[in-house]
Amino acid sequence: MNLPKIHSITKKLFVALVGSFLLLFLLFHMTANLFILRHDDGQWYSDFCHFMGTNWVVKIFEIVLLGVIALHILLTVWLAITNRLARPVRYHQASRSKTHPGSKLMMWTGVLIFACICIHFYDFYFVKVGVVKGEYMVKVENLSKLDAQAMEDEAVSDVLYRAFNEGNISEDGKWIRHINYEERTILKERAPESDPEPDFYYLTREKFSHLHIVIGYLVFFLILFFHLMHAFPSVFQTLGLNNYKYNPIIEALGKIYTWIIVLGFTAVPILVYLGL
Amino acid sequence: MKFTLHIWRQENARAKGHFETYEIDNISADCSFLEMLDQLNEKLINDHIAHPVCFDNDCREGICGMCGLYINGRPHGNDDGVTTCQLHMRHFNDGDEIWVEPWRAKAFPIIKDLVVDRTAFDKIIQAGGYISATTGGVPDANNILVPKHIADQAMDAAACIGCGACVAACKNASAMLFVGAKVSHLNLLPQGHPEAMDRVKKMVCKMDELGFGSCTNTYACEAECPKQIKRQNIARLNRQWIGQLFGRDRNE
Ligand code: SF4
Ligand code: FES
Repeated sequence: MNLPKIHSITKKLFVALVGSFLLLFLLFHMTANLFILRHDDGQWYSDFCHFMGTNWVVKIFEIVLLGVIALHILLTVWLAITNRLARPVRYHQASRSKTHPGSKLMMWTGVLIFACICIHFYDFYFVKVGVVKGEYMVKVENLSKLDAQAMEDEAVSDVLYRAFNEGNISEDGKWIRHINYEERTILKERAPESDPEPDFYYLTREKFSHLHIVIGYLVFFLILFFHLMHAFPSVFQTLGLNNYKYNPIIEALGKIYTWIIVLGFTAVPILVYLGL
Repeated sequence: MKFTLHIWRQENARAKGHFETYEIDNISADCSFLEMLDQLNEKLINDHIAHPVCFDNDCREGICGMCGLYINGRPHGNDDGVTTCQLHMRHFNDGDEIWVEPWRAKAFPIIKDLVVDRTAFDKIIQAGGYISATTGGVPDANNILVPKHIADQAMDAAACIGCGACVAACKNASAMLFVGAKVSHLNLLPQGHPEAMDRVKKMVCKMDELGFGSCTNTYACEAECPKQIKRQNIARLNRQWIGQLFGRDRNE
């Protein structure tokens, strides 16, 4: 097999740079998720999602993020193939060298994480794009932007009527909630100014009310735990930032970082499931 | 002591190898692993059982780097910080089954039985693991000032005997620990500075060319290195590789 030539260390540098970007992103994502824990009828979280869904800088960031994930996968698979080729005949006896367990499992934890990210996309990103059905909400202030034609449309007023009738207005009066997929389609087509968006606060809370989803989520973070435990110190090592003095500090920071991420993310489904 | 040995036998580089099982008895616990193999070979010859088992060795005191066997899943066997010639049979239990394999890596083809060709390491050294100007004899003390901690790190890196256990242990057959050590012991010292960046570039390129894998920071190399060369040497190699990419001509 003839793969294009990039020096091994350079390839690894890219993996590390891209990986460190993902490590930072996880911190950001975790902080955002914690908003779900607020019992504020989704005020903070919905505002945050609205910002993320409409800001153009975020849109560019989204593309960068997808590119970064793709690059991370591409480079690591490439490295894995060349590494495999470096030992054509395997040992009969399995290795008994003392190493971190996470490091040898990186490829497999990586594959599992990729599968979970795909599910995550199905559940959230595709809902946002409209490929998968979810629950939606409309900004109340958008209603004033509706033109006369939309206001007179019977189907549109039916949707709004039901919402007001059932009291589906958020506590802060900013959102009309619990709009289903069919209603969203009506609004999108006949009153595009209403601009319905996915109601992730309730979508997430609904998902985390199912035990199997909560368990699946926890298993995912167990896998991610091993991946991150190795990833964090690895970034420093590959970028050449490790030395005799820093090594223990980097290892300790890696453990702290991983625990913060795992506890931060898993707190959401656990507390939501328990209704706390 | 009594052992059941499963030893890799392979006629030459192209032949297909296989494990052969031998029983051996009356081995002293104070015997080294290679002395145990010597006794096995004597038995094989005297009893006309088979050709003796080929294995590399020279100094038998852990300084030349010639010996190297993959024993029960660990290069140089189940003791830390020793070469195969320093491994003693007291580290095994009486009646143990012992699997003995050669180093396995694309860059280390098998010559015969347990002997592998480690010319690849020589080629890496030839690519840049030297100082091209004559540095003269031993300079007077304090003629060239080297800070103590730098001297210590250079000395530790220079302890590498080029045995190849790091490659053998690594799941990717990567030679980064070896190259890291060789680059470090020269680049840390004033005599190595002028050619430092060039050296990093040439040695890493050669390493890639010879078919060694890439480091995935598993540190099996560090765990198995008989001279306990540390991962920090790999980090230094990475650091200097980045420096070299940006044309930096300074050393740490
Ligand atoms: S770094 Fe250690 S294991 Fe690797 S060749 Fe040198 S002495 Fe042997
Ligand atoms: S024979 Fe020289 S190091 Fe083992």
